[in-house]
Amino acid sequence: MILPRGVAQPTELIKHLNALAPFPSGVVNLRYTFDTDWSGDPAIFFWITLSDDAARRAVLSQNSRRITEFITQRLDPIGQWGLIPYFNFRSQSEQAKLKEEVFG
Amino acid sequence: MAYYDDLIQHANFLSELNLPNEPKQVDLRRAVSAAYYALFHLLTTEAAQKWRHQNQRARFARMFDHGRMKTCSSRVSSRQLPVDPDEIPIAEALKLVADSFLKPQQDRHTADYDNSKVWSRTQVWEVICEAEDAMAAWSSIREEEIAQDYLLDLMGSR
Repeated sequence: MILPRGVAQPTELIKHLNALAPFPSGVVNLRYTFDTDWSGDPAIFFWITLSDDAARRAVLSQNSRRITEFITQRLDPIGQWGLIPYFNFRSQSEQAKLKEEVFG
Repeated sequence: MAYYDDLIQHANFLSELNLPNEPKQVDLRRAVSAAYYALFHLLTTEAAQKWRHQNQRARFARMFDHGRMKTCSSRVSSRQLPVDPDEIPIAEALKLVADSFLKPQQDRHTADYDNSKVWSRTQVWEVICEAEDAMAAWSSIREEEIAQDYLLDLMGSR
């Protein structure tokens, strides 16, 4: 079995992830975790906290797409690292209430 | 209204329940599931429409498998865009459909099976947006050859 590059070379991947900053406007915090997805494929999960303004429903789709493209174009998670990316977005005020660790 | 349209409408309805107060997790989880199944049923229904015998179409649509659909969508998602500029918009729209299939599928699995996960309205709205955008993109390319190839590949061929 061939390990995906993202699993075989985690330090290298983390260097690339750290180089993503500064993040696009609207991003308050960005965290990631490595795991397998529902079918057992290696994956990278992004946990992104947006400003309340960027998370408004009227602009949410546009902002999430812009941020997703920013990350996928710079990192190419599937092509370069063999990891399926999954993006999760939450607003700053929601995270202030829910305080979920994964979102930081 | 088609079943997949009802499902996306139901996802929106569930996600807005209890506004402006805090949502119930059960409503958010069911909304995520409905959004994924809206896209799932759109694609399987589209494929089944090509089956000649109308009374067998529902049976045909049940032949689709979530895992094989994921493998196919993942392959389309990682594919390079074509060189021909005329083909790029169609390929981009198909990529959007494939990308958008993967995310709600993972979310649906989490929503249905992992009760430790807490959902927020924004998270759920984003899943619904993703499914809605994919459905709109699909309607713009559904008769294109690469879109028809995608439907066939979703069954697990190649």
